[in-house]
Amino acid sequence: MRYGRSAALAVTGMLALTACGGSDGDDSGAAASDKPRIKLVINGGLGDKSFFDSAYEGLKQAEKDLGYELKVVELGSDRTKWEPGFEDAASADDYDILAAGTFDVTEYIGELAPEFPDKKFWVFDAPVDYSGKNGTCSNKCENVYSVTFKQNEGGYLAGFLAERLVAEKALKGTESQNKVGVIGGVKIPVIEDFVVGFKAGFKDAGGKNSDVLVQYVGGDKPFGDPAKGKEISTSMYGQGAALVWPVAGLSGLGTFESAVTTKRYTFGVDSNQYQTLTDQAQKDTVVTSILKNVGNALVKAAEADQKGSLKYGAVDTVGLAEDAVGYVNDEHFRELVPEKIRTEVQEAADKVKSGSVTVPSAF
Amino acid sequence: MSSVLDVVLSSAFLAAVLRVATPYLLAAFGGLVAERAGVSNIALEGQMLSAACTGALVAGYSGSVAAGAVCGVAVATLLGVLLAALRLELGADAIIAGIGINLLASGATAYAVYTLLDDKGGTSGLKSGTLPTVTLPGIESIPVVGDVLSGQNLITWLAFLVAPFVAWLFYRTRFGFHLRAVGEMPDAAASVGIPVRRVQYAGLALSGALAGLAGVFLSMGYVSFFVRDMTAGRGFIALAAVFLGGLRPWGVFLAALGFGAAEALAVQLGTLDVPPQLVSTIPYAMTLVALAVYAWRRKRRGTTTEVAASL
Repeated sequence: MRYGRSAALAVTGMLALTACGGSDGDDSGAAASDKPRIKLVINGGLGDKSFFDSAYEGLKQAEKDLGYELKVVELGSDRTKWEPGFEDAASADDYDILAAGTFDVTEYIGELAPEFPDKKFWVFDAPVDYSGKNGTCSNKCENVYSVTFKQNEGGYLAGFLAERLVAEKALKGTESQNKVGVIGGVKIPVIEDFVVGFKAGFKDAGGKNSDVLVQYVGGDKPFGDPAKGKEISTSMYGQGAALVWPVAGLSGLGTFESAVTTKRYTFGVDSNQYQTLTDQAQKDTVVTSILKNVGNALVKAAEADQKGSLKYGAVDTVGLAEDAVGYVNDEHFRELVPEKIRTEVQEAADKVKSGSVTVPSAF
Repeated sequence: MSSVLDVVLSSAFLAAVLRVATPYLLAAFGGLVAERAGVSNIALEGQMLSAACTGALVAGYSGSVAAGAVCGVAVATLLGVLLAALRLELGADAIIAGIGINLLASGATAYAVYTLLDDKGGTSGLKSGTLPTVTLPGIESIPVVGDVLSGQNLITWLAFLVAPFVAWLFYRTRFGFHLRAVGEMPDAAASVGIPVRRVQYAGLALSGALAGLAGVFLSMGYVSFFVRDMTAGRGFIALAAVFLGGLRPWGVFLAALGFGAAEALAVQLGTLDVPPQLVSTIPYAMTLVALAVYAWRRKRRGTTTEVAASL
């Protein structure tokens, strides 16, 4: 019995090792070269078809066009492995720039950056605490570049477009529906920023906020539970939503299925989901996608860093004006959306860009 | 408040309860069979996940939904047998072996999908289809009931037939009698000639198969693709339903249905002006309350021997 228990423990340990084996990244980092080496540390996994994939694509482009060397480490979705994972990644001397994203990593980077002052850190989608007053960033994070996105501006355009589509009864088969839905993964500032922007846009276009249904997936895997995403979408369509916009990673995939069965519409998020989806019936439900171009922002950072003009020790906030946020205006969009509405949305975008309209934010 | 009542009484809500409860019901009965056979199956989560992944992959590559479902259930059954072998042959602790299987399933499914499809997220790029929906002739014309039942997935129907099936198996068949005897007191069962190991192997295989059906429902009924770790803790909630149901078929049935209703309610209430954090705690709060009630009932009955046996 005693032997059996330890044998089982050993087996479990081995299984655990196998399970995490994938996260070591490719160890191609051979001999010393003059190329600047970027290490992308992901607190999650690739394959989300939006956020992390976009960051990865951007850095791959930097590798190809700008002569960087890229290495990727995936830490998986188990939060308890993140802090040690970042410590390991930062203390290995196989990189010059460590890139990481989301609000969750700001604390780790804030602690590691002062420890490794000769390394550079890039944080996307959230700023580290540059004040240095709350226990992190004891060197004021002079070696950290943060970039954040005005996703509220993207949300604003989505809300504006949604209101126009519903008010003008422009979407075939939804003429009797007057509501729209937004599904967030979980109620955190970054997701709320999309929602706040959406509501503002919907209102500015002439709609009532009570016609915007908002709901969160929550639970164990808020960004990876498509079954629950589908259930919520079905409920929203049942309550009279003409279109639903999922801002919930892979949970959002359930929305596209639900839209096909209920014959309604969707918006995509982060990347052009008309392209990333494979099923034609699902593609056809996607009116447009609200882009949050993480990858593009990283390419720009890489370009600026090469010229020595990247601002370390400060936050860079990019939005519609910098093309870091936007909406997809492709053939499918032009097919579904009448010209009048397209012009109105473009005008709204121009107003945000020029600063004559300020979109409220959740931050 | 009236809007909450409207929601709860709508046929759309009742239909959602059936859908949401399906994986809980199947997995909970899987857990019940194992528990009554004397081995806790904490690997329900991993068995569901493996079945969901296998089902979507096989259906996608072979073009046959039926083949996908059969293979998915088969893999989960094998994992049930694996758990039995670790416990019975090597004397491993069932809980630790179960955790091992869960870790294996999480890693292996992600690895398989990545190897085959070069996608680290899931199989959404693979067209794999769903199992057919079933509508009994004439049922659509019945008000409310018709709306609730028509168009439900084949596996949802099966899930609701599992309760009477397991009740019949436990109390009306020789195998069920042996299974319960083995779970209560293996030595006594062995002394009267019941093949203890064989019964436990069969029990855990059946347990895995039921969890497998739950998994296949997720990736081939609820939605039509697999996503990494898409079971999202449903196996553990099912396990809670096993104990809340007092290890009895109809008790487990009600408990699993209750969890389904709680989650469906959370979905329906989500758009009302209730804080989402509060709404999403409903199923979990219910689990805690359920376990507390269960422990309290146990204590009152003072059946400590039963507790010892079930461990």
